[in-house]
Amino acid sequence: MGESYFDWAARLFDPSLLHGKPEALQGIRVLDLSVIIFGPATADFLGELGAQVIKVEMPGGGDVTRILGHAGCFWKNVSVAFFPQNHSKYHIGVDMHHADGQALIRKLAARSDIVIENFKPGTTEAKWGLGYRQLREVNPRLIYVANTGFGQWGPLAEGRASYDGLAQAVSGLTAISGFEGALPTKVGNYLGDWFGACLAAMGTLAALRWRDRTGEGQFVEMAQCEGLVRALDWTWLYAGLTGRDRPKTGNRDPVFVPSGIFRCRDGYVAVVAGTDGEFQGLTTALGQPALAEDPRFRMAAARRERAHADALDALIGAWCRGRSREEVQVAARTHGFAAAPVMSGRDQYEDAHLRARRSVWESDDALYGRIVDYGPAPKLSATPARHKWVGRPVGWHNAHVLKGILGLTGAEIADLERRGVVGRWGDQRGAKPPDDWQGTGAPEL
Amino acid sequence: MNPRWAEWIRHAEDPARVSEMPEALDDLLVLDCSVGHYGGHVLSGFLGELGAEVIKLEPPGGDPARRWGPPDATVHGEGLAFLAEGRNRHYATLDLTQPEGQGLLRQLAARADVLVEGFPPGQQDAWGIGFRHLQPLNPRLIYVALSTHGQFGPRAARGGPEYDLIDQALSGLAFLTGEPTDATDATDDGHDRPEAVPTRVGSWISAYAQAAWAGVATLGALHWREQSGQGQMIDVSGAEALMRYLEYTLLLYHAAGEVRQRLGVMDGAVSVYTFVPVKDGWAFIAGYTDANFGAICRIMGRPELTRDSRFRTTLDRTQPENRAALRDEVAKWSVNYTASEILAKVLADPGPGVVVFGPVNGPSQTLAEGHWWERGCFGRVSDPVYGLLTLAMPAWRMTRTPPRLKTPGRPAGYHNADVYARYFGFGPDRLADLRSRGII
Repeated sequence: MGESYFDWAARLFDPSLLHGKPEALQGIRVLDLSVIIFGPATADFLGELGAQVIKVEMPGGGDVTRILGHAGCFWKNVSVAFFPQNHSKYHIGVDMHHADGQALIRKLAARSDIVIENFKPGTTEAKWGLGYRQLREVNPRLIYVANTGFGQWGPLAEGRASYDGLAQAVSGLTAISGFEGALPTKVGNYLGDWFGACLAAMGTLAALRWRDRTGEGQFVEMAQCEGLVRALDWTWLYAGLTGRDRPKTGNRDPVFVPSGIFRCRDGYVAVVAGTDGEFQGLTTALGQPALAEDPRFRMAAARRERAHADALDALIGAWCRGRSREEVQVAARTHGFAAAPVMSGRDQYEDAHLRARRSVWESDDALYGRIVDYGPAPKLSATPARHKWVGRPVGWHNAHVLKGILGLTGAEIADLERRGVVGRWGDQRGAKPPDDWQGTGAPEL
Repeated sequence: MNPRWAEWIRHAEDPARVSEMPEALDDLLVLDCSVGHYGGHVLSGFLGELGAEVIKLEPPGGDPARRWGPPDATVHGEGLAFLAEGRNRHYATLDLTQPEGQGLLRQLAARADVLVEGFPPGQQDAWGIGFRHLQPLNPRLIYVALSTHGQFGPRAARGGPEYDLIDQALSGLAFLTGEPTDATDATDDGHDRPEAVPTRVGSWISAYAQAAWAGVATLGALHWREQSGQGQMIDVSGAEALMRYLEYTLLLYHAAGEVRQRLGVMDGAVSVYTFVPVKDGWAFIAGYTDANFGAICRIMGRPELTRDSRFRTTLDRTQPENRAALRDEVAKWSVNYTASEILAKVLADPGPGVVVFGPVNGPSQTLAEGHWWERGCFGRVSDPVYGLLTLAMPAWRMTRTPPRLKTPGRPAGYHNADVYARYFGFGPDRLADLRSRGII
């Protein structure tokens, strides 16, 4: 093959061509009844792959994440926390507490492939008649996805509310993270929500595969806690075999030593030299090649001994302190060990590699203008994932969905609006358009 | 009569009945070519849990990942990290560096649905068995390539060893996690408080994020293949997989020029939402709406706190000075009770409002909680090769095609005879010949 691998791969995945390529889930419709992060992110990930996602919110204020977020950071009338899990969705304002609202949802569910909710177990069935057992009556092929903290049943699921932080705590994740003797380590994002949403999307698509094969729908659930339990690698094996809890090891990888996060002149780097060859390279970079023969460090088993690992960390720390992050990385590449910057949001914003891959996704949105957010993570050569627009005000797509999909007349919609069953944004932050909105652009039919 | 939802769904998801139910992916053949790559190892297990037939192809000397694990516990000489995720596949050996091995892979790939690899980008291509070589043989093939930086872009050709710690650093999650430095820290490198640094998640979370994203993309690609007959290549960076979970971190910089920082046990969006000391360790407690915060104050016997000007509204409570003071108020109360005592108070509270509360469990405490065993979240497997193993079971609950764990793992080449007989018709003589030349 004449062309270099990387030239070929760049052509195969060329992001500038992505909007001309088909979408993996085109034709699949997702009805997103969920709120905050866990459910909406699941729907969002399916939307990135091309599913049409209809997001149902309460008329007026809508999803509470529109106003909750980074201590009052609003941008163009919306909390910045609302956008990352709500791309390319069709926003409708429907009151699900109202019988006529429930009827609308039932009609939409009959025309959808997937329904997603994250309410307390049994809520959609008991309060709204929109549970799996009811909706599958109008759509036997339906895939119904329910995300919760503790799951749909079991002792902890009965009457125990949960947030991501609780999932981190009870799953064991908190106990195995961070530094001995310090405050518990609270992971800096809502990891239980986001990782759980990713697993939920995978489970949903497994159900879709089964439906492709057989025509059968089913109920799929993800429990936040169970997602995190699943992601703790050898923790459970170790406890079962030794009767011990695996220890916290700070920033030292428990398997590959030396490793850690070290201060440089201009920020932090992660460094790992996990094999004998990498360690030799590291000692050369440190200007102390004799360390590779030092009995404390020559063998991997010796390097892993606490006192020896600490000594190596001190050497690496001293070496990093006088250098820039870039110098450390160049040395790592030259001498064959691993190093990378601890990236901040700003580092990512300015990173040419991430932008070239559209993992940092800059777009010109019709309503919000120039916006930069995280782009879809997986890159698919034939059916690239993509963002088409960002979040919209409450009820922005009412006409598009109620007329265009359900075929309601203007009079019927007006009547529903009059009775508060259907509605759009209230005059409140989070829900309403930006101040510079000219009153145009909402898709009318 | 309709049984309550909880009873119905418990029966529909009964872990004891899982083996009677069909499997969503059991018509798929997956080739796990990952070597020394945890994300590929985990992804292959996910697909196997959902029913795919997975064949791992590792070097005749065994995957170096078999040595990965804590230093003080192994099973049959195998590292616990490898064994934790080695489930549900057949184990064959195949030397992909030799032309004959590459030829055998080509034949397998011609009939496979999915191929998973985690070599340095370009490596498998250099062996003549990359996507552009295999796609003409099998246009329906879905080829999944996993790496730190991805297959294209300015850093793609960088090469070099890859690790979860590196991916966590690049993802931006480490920057957001851990104790912030403060005015009392004498030096920047936190000698007094070694924890006042960006902090890694304790497990290899980037590998799980990578596997989850690759699973989503693979299944999406399989759906597309049903419509189009078309396979494709999938590129997942472990760093980007975790980065996608970082919420508004980028947008905050775009909108406000603000770099999101690590906040220790505080939360940037809501308060009360934090860890507090209890008599027997630590606990998580949250109540951030007015009603739920009111419930916390009521349970603490401090109703007047809801009228404190620092804590009156949701927004007030999230201001940095106020949330720190508020946490102090809760902590000075919580430290007097065990986690169980506080949980009892929380569950007994009549409302209005709901408090979210629970202990920071060590793994042994989580394992002691009956709920997870009832749910089928953990399993104690008696394996003929590896003995008694405590394992995390598949995470999804599905009423029609629930995932399941079949085998926890096997030594390298354990299934050579079976795999090479089934797919190539090779008998013992042929295998001996291949073995003698190091092909298997």
